[in-house]
Amino acid sequence: MANHSQLGFQDASSPIMEELMQFHDHALMVALAICSLVLYILTVMLTEKLSSSSVDAQEIELVWTILPAVVLIVLALPSLRILYMMDEINEPDLTLKAIGHQWYWTYEYTDLKELTFDSYMVPTSDLPLGHFRLLEVDHRVIVPMNSKVRVIVTADDVLHSWAVPSLGVKTDAIPGRLNQTAFLASRPGVYYGQCSEICGANHSFMPIVVESTPLANFENWSSLIPS
Amino acid sequence: VFFISLSLSLQLVPLIGFISVGLGSAVLYLLRLALYSPDVSWDRKNNPEPWNKLSPTDQYKFLAISTDYKNLKKDRPSF
Repeated sequence: MANHSQLGFQDASSPIMEELMQFHDHALMVALAICSLVLYILTVMLTEKLSSSSVDAQEIELVWTILPAVVLIVLALPSLRILYMMDEINEPDLTLKAIGHQWYWTYEYTDLKELTFDSYMVPTSDLPLGHFRLLEVDHRVIVPMNSKVRVIVTADDVLHSWAVPSLGVKTDAIPGRLNQTAFLASRPGVYYGQCSEICGANHSFMPIVVESTPLANFENWSSLIPS
Repeated sequence: VFFISLSLSLQLVPLIGFISVGLGSAVLYLLRLALYSPDVSWDRKNNPEPWNKLSPTDQYKFLAISTDYKNLKKDRPSF
């Protein structure tokens, strides 16, 4: 989860999120270069004597045509690469459904047995000491680590959005429509997210918690559910 | 205004070049989508639902980063 004064991303817990973070660093570096250049030129303009003797501007026109085009290409190529990578069909090991309601999520694991449960936020009055306010839920989404998980997201009433920033996942939940997203949790852990599409009074109070655990623990958990 | 003088038109080459590359690739990609995308049906009589004709090893996207579509094994029932 994010800290109070956090500026950057949460630690990446999936390969896609690592790629996104690298791209963000790359784009930020480009932005830094442009800003420094602009600041430098501004300083030079304001401190030097105006001494140009010609109105000929051919060289600078060349520079400020080619340089922005290069910047755009340098940004577009990694961006498109990640975009197509995120969209690839990846033969998931596990498929689960996330259904948004006002104001809770329902998760369905129906690959082998029928496993369905609701996931409500733990109200602050019931929150044990040391737990995260407005982020904890009663039933977490348990997934096996290092396994390709496909999530099919939809909604029952109004628009919601299923988002877990640490896994690099955000998918809108639209009534009457199935949206697919995929992730791979690279390490065991607990990952928090919040509903990311305004959906009424308790939009801020329907979080998502994904818990990734070794496969043995996942199988143990799913076999304990009464069918 | 298009400058005909030699020295000036040379300076405009990068501008024309980048704009044509950009606009050209946009138009070409649009044409690719219109003609080759399985979601587009031009002939409602002879090819009404082209998306039903895809095989599991078809790559209909422009780029494939890590999926080897030709060698993709898909066991699914054939209807």
